[in-house]
Amino acid sequence: MAQHAAKGARFQAVTANRLSDGEVVYFSPDNRWVEAFAMAEVADGAEAAETLLGRAMPADFEAHVLEPYLFEVLEDGSAYKPASVRETIRAAGPTVRLDLGKQAEAKAE
Amino acid sequence: MTDYHLVIDGATADESWTYLDDDAPLTEAPSIISLARLKDEADALAERSAPLGIVLRADGLGKTDLGEDVRELAPFIDKLALIAIHFPAYRNGRGYSAARVLREEFGFKGQLRATGDVLYDQWAMMNRCGINAFELAADIDLATFQTALGELSGAYQPAADQNRGALWARGK
Amino acid sequence: MYRYDEFDHKLVSDRVNQFRGQVERRVSGALSEDQFKPLRLMNGVYLQLHAYMLRVAIPYGTLRSEQMRMLAHIARKYDRGYGHFTTRQNIQYNWPALDKIPDLLDELAGVEMHAIQTSGNCIRNVTSDQYAGAIADEAEDPRIVSEIIRQWSTFHPEFTYLPRKFKIAVTAHKNDRAAIKLHDIGIVVKKNDAGEVGYEVHVGGGQGRTPFVAKKMADFVPKAKLLAYLEAVMRVYNMLGRRDNSYKARIKILVHETGEEEMRRMVEEEFAKIDASQMLTVPEEEIARISAYFAPPAFDTRPAESAAFTQAQADDADFARFVRANVVAHKQDGYAIVNISLKPIGGVPGDATDAQMDVIADLAERFSHDEVRVTHEQNLVLPHVKLDDVKTVYDTLAAHELATANLGLISDQIACPGLDYCNLANARSIPLAQEISERFSDLDRQYDIGELKIKISGCINACGHHHVGHIGILGVDKKGTEFYQISLGGAADENAAIGQITGRAFTEEDIVDAIETVVTTYTDLRADGERFIDTYNRVGMEPFKERLYD
Repeated sequence: MAQHAAKGARFQAVTANRLSDGEVVYFSPDNRWVEAFAMAEVADGAEAAETLLGRAMPADFEAHVLEPYLFEVLEDGSAYKPASVRETIRAAGPTVRLDLGKQAEAKAE
Repeated sequence: MTDYHLVIDGATADESWTYLDDDAPLTEAPSIISLARLKDEADALAERSAPLGIVLRADGLGKTDLGEDVRELAPFIDKLALIAIHFPAYRNGRGYSAARVLREEFGFKGQLRATGDVLYDQWAMMNRCGINAFELAADIDLATFQTALGELSGAYQPAADQNRGALWARGK
Repeated sequence: MYRYDEFDHKLVSDRVNQFRGQVERRVSGALSEDQFKPLRLMNGVYLQLHAYMLRVAIPYGTLRSEQMRMLAHIARKYDRGYGHFTTRQNIQYNWPALDKIPDLLDELAGVEMHAIQTSGNCIRNVTSDQYAGAIADEAEDPRIVSEIIRQWSTFHPEFTYLPRKFKIAVTAHKNDRAAIKLHDIGIVVKKNDAGEVGYEVHVGGGQGRTPFVAKKMADFVPKAKLLAYLEAVMRVYNMLGRRDNSYKARIKILVHETGEEEMRRMVEEEFAKIDASQMLTVPEEEIARISAYFAPPAFDTRPAESAAFTQAQADDADFARFVRANVVAHKQDGYAIVNISLKPIGGVPGDATDAQMDVIADLAERFSHDEVRVTHEQNLVLPHVKLDDVKTVYDTLAAHELATANLGLISDQIACPGLDYCNLANARSIPLAQEISERFSDLDRQYDIGELKIKISGCINACGHHHVGHIGILGVDKKGTEFYQISLGGAADENAAIGQITGRAFTEEDIVDAIETVVTTYTDLRADGERFIDTYNRVGMEPFKERLYD
C-alpha cells in the first residue's frame, strides 16, 4: 500500500478505508475511526507518528478497516489540511462531482 | 505426527511419507526428496526399493528464477510414487500447470500432493488440475474441505479431472 | 445474443454464493485481507480512493435492454445513480458497500450478468467489435468465438493464478475497432482461400509501463484448434511468466525477453501436445448452438434509401450533423448503426446516469432489436436501427444529452477515472478532458479538425489508453503537483502504434494551450484529406516539438 507521507514530514495523520463500505476514515484521538478529516488525530514528529500508527493497528484492526497508513498534513491556521492532492481529494470527494462524497454531506449539514 | 491435516482422495489420511533434507541419509521408509537429489543420486536411488517421492519447488530465487521445471521429471516418472508440488504463495499459480502436465502429458498415476500455501479457495482448482492430496492447515476439518470442493457445481472446460466440461457436454 | 442455459445460471449463482461465503469469512476474520484480496478481485471488487468499486462484466460489450435496465437499477439501489463504461467494454460502479455486493450480484445473476474475473491475475473480459453482426464484410460475427473463449476461460482451474492479468480481444473486420494488437492475445477472425473460418493470433500486446504492439504468433489457426492453441499460449505464460516483479509479469515481457521466434516455437510445441489429446476440440454441435445465438435478428426487407431519413436531415441541421458523425452504414438495406456519445461537452467521459441507462434500454428494445453495445472508447451503440426510425431515436437521445455529434472527433476523448476516483492514479484526468472538451466545443471547428483521438490516463497503468491516442496525455505527479505529458502518433486500430512523447511535461495551466498548439500545427501543415494521424505520420514529431517548446 502506497505511503503518502513525504520524507521529513512533520505533521502526520492516519487514514484507512472502512471494511464494510470502503468509506474513507481517519484515526481519532479516542481510538475510533471517524469519517471527518477534521476529527483526525495529528502527530507531531516521526516518532509520534509511528506511535499513532501503532495505536491504529491493534491485532484486530482488519475487522474494521483496510490498510491504514500515515499521510502528511500541513498547518492551516488553527487546524490542519492534507498536504497532497490525493489526500485532499480523499478527504472531500471527487473534484468532478461536488454532489458526491464527504463534500456533499458537509454541505447538507 | 505432522503439523498439517493430510487429505488424500477426499479422506483424512495418516502421513506415511517423510520429507528428507538433501544431506539426510536415504532410508527404506517412503521418502520425499528434492529434484537435485533425484538427479544427483540416481544410482543410489536405483538400489533402493522403498517408495520414492519428490517435491517440486517453485520458490522464486534470484531475479527471474522460476523454480524447478516439471518437465525435468520426465525420465523419472515411472520411479516416483509421489510428487509434491510446492506452492510458495497461493498467488503463485505455476503449480497448477505442473500438475496438469504430470497427469495429462506424463500420465502420472501416483499421489500428486499440494504443499505450502494451500488455502480454502484454491483446493477445488488444484483438485481439477489433478492434485489428489493436500497438506491442509491442522485446524481445517474434512467437512470444510469437502464444502470447498463443491462450491462450483460444474465446469466449462476440461482439465485433469476428466471433466469434459459444459462446452463439450451440452445437448448430450 | 447468447442466452444462459441451466448450466450457465447454476455456475453464476454458485459463484455468488461462493463470494457471499468469502465476504462472511472476511468479515468474521477467518480470512485476512491479504487472503481475501485476490478473491474479491476475481469478483470485480476493487478498493478505490473513496469507496469500493465494482466492475461488472459486459461480455464483448453486448447487452439486452433488460440487462441495461438492471444496470440502471443497480446504480439507483446500490450506488449513487450512475455508472462508468470502461475501455474494456465493462461498467464500473464507484460506491457499492462490500456487505451489499453479494445481494447486488444476485440481482445481476437474474439477468445473466456477473462480475466474474473482471479483475485479478486471471483471464479477463473478452472484448470485441461494437459493430459485430451489423457491419458489412465481417468474416464471421466475432462474438461467436468470443463467447467460446469466455466459457473456456471462466473458472479455468489452471489459469486462475497467473503472473498477471490477461486480456483477450477479437475482431473480424479489416477495420479493427477492438484494438486487438494492444492485448495479451488479439485474434483476427478471417477466412482462408477455401472460405474456411480460422484465426490469426497475436500475442504480447499491451500498454502500461512498457507498451508493446502484439506479435503475430500464428497466421491461421483452424476453428477446431483455437482453444488448444490458446491453452498452449496460456500454459507457456503460466509456467514461464515472471513472478518476481509485477511490472515485468505480463506476457508482453515474456515475448520481449524470450524473443518472438522462440516464443512461437514454445507455443507450437505445447500446442502439439495439447492438440494431440483432442480434449479441447469443441464439438460441432456446440459451436453451432453458440453460433445460433448470434444469428442476425429478423430484419425487415426494406429499401436502401429512406425518404423520411433523408428529409429529416434536410429539415434539421443538428440532426444532419448527428448523422454525419454518429451514424454508420449497416450491412442490411434500410438499417443503420447509431452511435450514442457519452462525451457531452464538459461532461465526464463514459459516465451515464440511471435515467439515461433506462432511456437507452427503451430505445434498444423499441428500435434496435433489443440490443445495445459498449465500445472500448467509452461510448454506446444501437446496432440495428431502421433508417426510418433514426430521427425518432435521435430526438430521444437529444432530450437526454446523449446525442452529441462528436464520434471520433476531438471531444470524443477516452479518460480513465484518474485521481478523482482511483487508488493508483498520480493525477486527475477527468477535469482535463472536460477542459479540452470545452476549449473545442464548437462543432464546426471539430468537424474541420476531423478524426482526432485524445486519450488520457492518470497514471502509467494506462487504463485511458494514452499510449495509443493520436494525442495521448499522461498525468504525472512531480513533487505533489499534477503535470501532463503529451505523446503523439499512437493508434489502436489495425495500424497499431505506440505514441512518441513530445518532451517536457506541461502544467495544469498550460496543458490545454499545448493541445491547442498541437492541433493548430496539424491544421497548418495538413495536406488535402489528411487526418491528424496521417499528417503526423508524414511530417513526424519535429514540427510539433518546435511549436510546443519554442
